[in-house]
Amino acid sequence: MVEGTSTLERRRTLSEHPTAILFGLTGLLVVLIAVAASTGAYPISFGEMLAAIWRWLTGQDPIGTTDTVLFEIRLPRVFAGVLAGAALAAAGAAYQGLFRNPLVSPDILGVSSGAGLGAVIGIFFSLPIWAIQFSAFAMGLATVGVVYLIASMVRGREPILVLVLAGVVVGSLTGAAISLLKILADPYDQLPAIVFWLLGSLSSIRNADVINAAPLVLIALIPLILLRWRINVLSLGDEEAKALGVDSSKLRLVVIFAATLMTASVVAISGVIGWVGLVIPHLARMLVGPNFERLLPASMLMGGGYLLLVDTVARSLTVTEIPLGILTAIIGAPFFLWLLARGRDGWS
Amino acid sequence: MNQAAPLRTPIIVTRELGTGYPGYAVGRDISLGIAPGEVLCLLGPNGCGKTTLFKTMLGLLPAQAGEVLIDGQPIISLARADIARRVAYVPQAHAAQFPYRVIDMVVMGRTAHLGLFAAPSPADRSKAHEALGALGIDELSEVEYTRISGGQRQLALIARALAQDAPAIVMDEPTASLDFGNQVTVLSEIKRLKGLGLAIVLSTHDPDHAFSVADTVALMHNGRLMSQGPPAAVLTPQALQTVYGVNVSLVDLDGGRTLCAPDYETGRLR
Amino acid sequence: MSIYRQLKVCFLALAWLSGSSALARELVDSGGRPINVPEQITKVFAAGPPASILLYVLAPEKMTGWPNPLRPAEAPYVAEPFRDLPALGRLTGRGGTANLEVVLRVKPDLILDFGSVRDTYISLANAVQSQTGIPYALIDGRFAATPASLRLLGKILAVEERAETLASYVEKTFNEIDSVIASILESDRPRVYLARGPDGLETGVKGSINTEIIERAGGRNVADAPGQRGIVRASIEQVIVANPDTIITWDPIFYENVYKDPLWSGIEAVERRRVYLSPVAPFGWIDRPPSINRVIGLKWLAGLFYPDKLGGDLNAMTREFYKLFYHVDLSDAELETLIEWSKGQAPSNAGAR
Repeated sequence: MVEGTSTLERRRTLSEHPTAILFGLTGLLVVLIAVAASTGAYPISFGEMLAAIWRWLTGQDPIGTTDTVLFEIRLPRVFAGVLAGAALAAAGAAYQGLFRNPLVSPDILGVSSGAGLGAVIGIFFSLPIWAIQFSAFAMGLATVGVVYLIASMVRGREPILVLVLAGVVVGSLTGAAISLLKILADPYDQLPAIVFWLLGSLSSIRNADVINAAPLVLIALIPLILLRWRINVLSLGDEEAKALGVDSSKLRLVVIFAATLMTASVVAISGVIGWVGLVIPHLARMLVGPNFERLLPASMLMGGGYLLLVDTVARSLTVTEIPLGILTAIIGAPFFLWLLARGRDGWS
Repeated sequence: MNQAAPLRTPIIVTRELGTGYPGYAVGRDISLGIAPGEVLCLLGPNGCGKTTLFKTMLGLLPAQAGEVLIDGQPIISLARADIARRVAYVPQAHAAQFPYRVIDMVVMGRTAHLGLFAAPSPADRSKAHEALGALGIDELSEVEYTRISGGQRQLALIARALAQDAPAIVMDEPTASLDFGNQVTVLSEIKRLKGLGLAIVLSTHDPDHAFSVADTVALMHNGRLMSQGPPAAVLTPQALQTVYGVNVSLVDLDGGRTLCAPDYETGRLR
Repeated sequence: MSIYRQLKVCFLALAWLSGSSALARELVDSGGRPINVPEQITKVFAAGPPASILLYVLAPEKMTGWPNPLRPAEAPYVAEPFRDLPALGRLTGRGGTANLEVVLRVKPDLILDFGSVRDTYISLANAVQSQTGIPYALIDGRFAATPASLRLLGKILAVEERAETLASYVEKTFNEIDSVIASILESDRPRVYLARGPDGLETGVKGSINTEIIERAGGRNVADAPGQRGIVRASIEQVIVANPDTIITWDPIFYENVYKDPLWSGIEAVERRRVYLSPVAPFGWIDRPPSINRVIGLKWLAGLFYPDKLGGDLNAMTREFYKLFYHVDLSDAELETLIEWSKGQAPSNAGAR
């Protein structure tokens, strides 16, 4: 009892200082980036790292393997982790408001399963990596497009419900298509690649991947930032939002497009990574409250930091890589159960 | 009664309105008009179509027949924000999904006055505080909306409608979840708003509330308007018996108020 | 219940009467399971890709079909009458797609599985055998057991002479290589990385079935993760740290990119141009599937690792193996296509392809 009260008190105090929290999260992310950049199989000390960065800043020529590892392998991977985590968490935060459900994740409309199918098709036809990525990206967008079209053709009283159901149906269809291709794929060659892709990994990230994905994520972020207040209003539900003067169907389309673009861009380079978009916005809401103006940056900072942390563990815990999807689920699932138990406590 | 009302231009007009969904009519032939400074009270049994009528009046549901005019313009020609600047809506108190603070909830009423990409300014916030103050719940402004009682939520939703600054407010059973004291708070607030020249439409299950605040009562039965007019003319014991199947006697108090006393001995007639 | 049992007994009796016009022989398979097989076995159903290759090399005329359809690039390397056999699906292993009714329809005298003889597969064999009434032979698929497995299946299929020819070829290969690498210090052996997948970042961990021929040919697999088995993902950083001096791949996309990619350029194998593209037709040389096909891969790898002692004429060696095991006479063009890059040439003509 007493303990419960004190956590509630602490929670209230925390959400009363959102700016301080956002600064704290930013600081934490910077520290994580520094730690992640100096961690890895190839030994680079913190001092060597600073020296290499100094060389880069002052425009000197890179020296040897250290600089290659740092600038071509590790930093791209670190930034990809931050980018993917931030994008997934932002999309999750937007979707949880849009669908008025804190248990919603960015793949509810099938973007991940669509992207998965795109990648599996690419692997099945032995396409080069850039084509696999593009296929994943395009199929992710196309799947959500199909879901949206189906939902808008069904004239129901509950547009959100119809959307979610269409997402479930199309999602399971793409899942079936993936399974079919897994059966048809070469079991010794393509099947492992498919399995690895569907589990998510940042192990083959290049600078080019980050350079391709980052602008798309930023473009998708702009409408979410600009419409931050209206996204709050939308989370009250379709009718209330309309009564408050928000054109909810147009706004919904914009949010779906932004969240899909974000998710598809990062999933195309990272593979399917679950849980981040579900758990992180939840946690961010506990820290800064549900107001999207603060929820969005907090989710992005925490999502970026979380995925970076998980990826750093994934590449340094064992000699080989642990797929990210496995780690995020192992960490995410119990954590989420804890959140649920705690949340019920707070509402009673 | 207030005989000046018909002289003013009505803000909300429904003309032979049909409500409901394609293939499933809920209400038909509903013609109403609400002018500034006027309170219209909608009475009718559960399921008679009050909420559906409200949603159609607000343009949340398309009219199945007839039309809705806001400030003389067909509602279908108006953008959402245009409607919201003219008519505010107080839904029945609901449980929110997300723990917004009360002040955030109320300040959302300002949305129709904000630019597409804007967030509320300090001026919007002080308007929201003003509205909370008017309902006597400003001290709740920093509390999470999910933590306050159903009655307090209803008051907060009314405050949000006030912050919306619209000349007309549509309230769906605003007193339904309130305790006795808060019912009085809401009804006197309605009287105050009427005094300020707002047009108010509300639905209620309590004839007493209609007697105490309404200029016009519309009695709904099976999706149609049975009668419409001043409370004393509409809420006759016969009409109430027809609609609710209950014998009632009306008691006139000193000062011109009327109370409605159901006959619990005979109970429900149907 | 009892009626069904009686019916089943009747059917089994009928099947036995009709199928066993030839005298039955009792044998023991690699799983230690006694099996009753007819004197004359004419049709064999291979339960998976490894078994189908074992059967193809030993007694192709007894095949009923392939587990998967052959790809267009693979067909020319399979002897004419057998390349057109139907695809019947696989009965075991990952993603079993064969239907027991399909198995019964082709009326094999024997079901053959070649691979693990662990309990899972023993119980699968028993289950299928009791369901179909067809004897199910489980043959040990470990690479080292290859000669013994060839001889055992030769005995089961009554093709002992051919089995002996192939088994002694494999034994001779093993012995040759073993005697050479026995004298080579562990630290002097090449450090080998098996690059799988188009980005080359999938690999097989040391000690798994997918990579065992690397050690067998006298190499050291740099993907050494104690306690792990099978195919894993690696990061390029780990490859840089491991710094292999030899890279083996069968992925042409990876092979075409590896010399152009700056991230791989510092790795010793790339600097020394020791990246080799494995032939894959009709079956993989390294793995894919893990079966008899790896014998030629073993000879090839040993030659790459120790060109002075074990290197020979790859063309002649390949021709001989394909003739002896795969029943095909390779034309010059076919041979050229097959082993085009397996000597590790720089893909200078890659663009022309």
